[in-house]
Amino acid sequence: MTAPLEIAEPDLDEVVEEDRPWVVIVWNDPINLMAYVAYVFRKVFGYSEAKANKLMLDVHHKGRATVSSGTRTEAERDVHRLHGHGLWATMEHDE
Amino acid sequence: MGLFRRKRLFSAADDGFAVTLDPEVRQFVLSLARQLDELLELDVNETKRLFPTAYHDDPEREAGYQILARQQLIDSRREAISLIEATVDQDVLTEEELAAWMGIVNDLRLVLGTRLDVSEDDHDIDPEADDADLHLLYHQLGYLLSEIVDALTGTLPPPTVADDPV
Repeated sequence: MTAPLEIAEPDLDEVVEEDRPWVVIVWNDPINLMAYVAYVFRKVFGYSEAKANKLMLDVHHKGRATVSSGTRTEAERDVHRLHGHGLWATMEHDE
Repeated sequence: MGLFRRKRLFSAADDGFAVTLDPEVRQFVLSLARQLDELLELDVNETKRLFPTAYHDDPEREAGYQILARQQLIDSRREAISLIEATVDQDVLTEEELAAWMGIVNDLRLVLGTRLDVSEDDHDIDPEADDADLHLLYHQLGYLLSEIVDALTGTLPPPTVADDPV
């Protein structure tokens, strides 16, 4: 027996969306300690001390830094882990 | 309180981290952690920094994120508070236990800092102010946190992600 073929139409919006990566942004806040923020970047992402410190200083001096990028699922996972550490993280589509 | 002596409060030991906190400091942190526990389910301004927004400009996706994330963030904090209760008298903490202490001390600073509406330049305490004791507590928690971060940073594994090419 042969089942009738069902062809799923690709959702073009979804395809286009997945092509553009999502970026995770950490925002400056007056409460979190600088050493704590750098520690979290190393712990969560496995970044080197140098990279974690650079990102932390970007957050501190520029007000925000892009700390990771990926699919929406990956970005949401990263945001959630940063929220679990009390960091002010958001995600958005890369421009 | 022995918060300001020079000796390291947490130092790497063979089986984890040796803790030299005074008993009254430990019990005080535990009492604050229990107060935090009571705030977690409430919709109050003090805890807004514990549950940040993920999607700035997409209310629909934000609602979906919050449905899953909020309860998980409450649950993980409850677990950390339980770990503090279980280990409050221990002289040695595992990395996981010390990380639980760190997370809750940081959460307490977030709650207190939000309540005090601290700014980046808030380094001086006005001893005459009505909330001088809370400002002092905020700074003491900052000291405690930095000691824990120092200890945990010293035992981080090597990086797993290569640096960006320059």
